[in-house]
Amino acid sequence: MKGGALAFVTMEQTVDGPDSRTHADDLAAFETIMRQYERLVLVTAYRLLGNMEDAKDVSQEAFLRLYRNMGKASAAQNYQAWLYRVTVNLCHDAGRRRKPSVAVEDVPELVSPAAGPQESLAGSERQRILQMSLRALSPTERDAVVLRDLEGLSTEEVARALGSSEATVRSQISKGRVKMRNFVERYFRRRV
Amino acid sequence: MNCADWEERVALYAGGDLPPAEADEVERHVADCAGCQVLLSGLRESLALVRDAHREPIEEAHLASVRARVLSELERPARRWRWVWLPGLVAVAVVVLFVTLWPRSELRMALPPPASPSAPTVAKVVSVPAGPVQRTVQTVRTVPAPQVSGSIVVRLETNNPDVVIYWIAETKGETK
Repeated sequence: MKGGALAFVTMEQTVDGPDSRTHADDLAAFETIMRQYERLVLVTAYRLLGNMEDAKDVSQEAFLRLYRNMGKASAAQNYQAWLYRVTVNLCHDAGRRRKPSVAVEDVPELVSPAAGPQESLAGSERQRILQMSLRALSPTERDAVVLRDLEGLSTEEVARALGSSEATVRSQISKGRVKMRNFVERYFRRRV
Repeated sequence: MNCADWEERVALYAGGDLPPAEADEVERHVADCAGCQVLLSGLRESLALVRDAHREPIEEAHLASVRARVLSELERPARRWRWVWLPGLVAVAVVVLFVTLWPRSELRMALPPPASPSAPTVAKVVSVPAGPVQRTVQTVRTVPAPQVSGSIVVRLETNNPDVVIYWIAETKGETK
C-alpha cells in the first residue's frame, strides 16, 4: 500500500504503533489535514486562475501530491508553506495550458449563498471587482498580491513560495497595488 | 522629486511593508502632498475592498467536491484489484453467448484421445429441438492430438466456413 509507509499523525490522533495503522486510518488522518487547508488551496488557485473548475483541478492535484509527499512535508507547520508553493506552481502550469479568462460569470459561484439576496448581490459584486482587478495584473504581480495582500503572508514567505527575492516581491506588490487601485477607481467612476 | 517617484513607496506604506524609517519619510511627504494623499487613500480603500471580498465565505459544495475527488483517487488502488477478474468474466460470457446463440450452427468438438490415438470414438450427440431455428451441438469424435503433446485442442465448426474457433488447453502431469 502506497500510503502505508507514511506517518499521518494529526494533533487529534494518537498512534498505537506503526503496524496498527491501516489505509483507512491514513485516509481519515489525511482528510483531517485536507479539511484544514482546503480553503487555502482552492481560493488561492481560484484567485490566480480566475476559473473555479481549473482551481478545483489544481486543488485536487495539490492534495494528491501532499499525500504522496507526507514524509517530506512532515512537520505540520510546513504543510502551509508547501501547499502555497505547490499551488502556485500548479497554477503556472495550468495557466500555460490555457489562456486566462476574466470569467465574470464564474465570480458569484464562489460566494456562499447563506447570506440574504441583498448581501449576496453585494458580495457578488465585490467578488467581481476582486477577480477583475486581479486580471489587470501581470502573472507575477498577481502571485505576489494574492499571497501578500489576500492570503496575508509576509514578504519573506511570499518570496520563498515564489522562489524569488524579497526585493523583487516588494516591487511586484507595489506595482500590483497601484494597478488594482486604478482599476477599482475606474470601475466606480464608470458606475457613477 | 514628483509624486511618481513616491508611488512605489506609498503603495508599500499602504500595506505596512516599509521599515519604520522609510515609513516616517513617506508620512512626512504625504502630509505635504495632495496628490499622494489621494493615492494613499485610494490604495487603502481598494486594499480594504479586495481583502473583504477575499474573506467572504466560500460555498461548501466546492470544498466538498475537491475533497471527494481526492479521497476517491486515493481509494482507487484497492478497488482496482478487486475488479481485475471482470474482463475475464466478460470474455467468458461473450464466448458462451456466441456458442449458444449462433444461428443454425452445427458445432463440432474434436478432442484428442486420452490413451489410444488410433481409436476415434463417437462420444455423444446432443440435439436441441424446438424453437424456430434448429440448433444441433455434436460432440462427434476424438482425433489424434496435434504435435503439441500434453495439450487438448477443441475445434468448434459452424455453418459459416469463415468462423472456426480453436481452444487449446495445457494438461498437467499427463505428457504421454
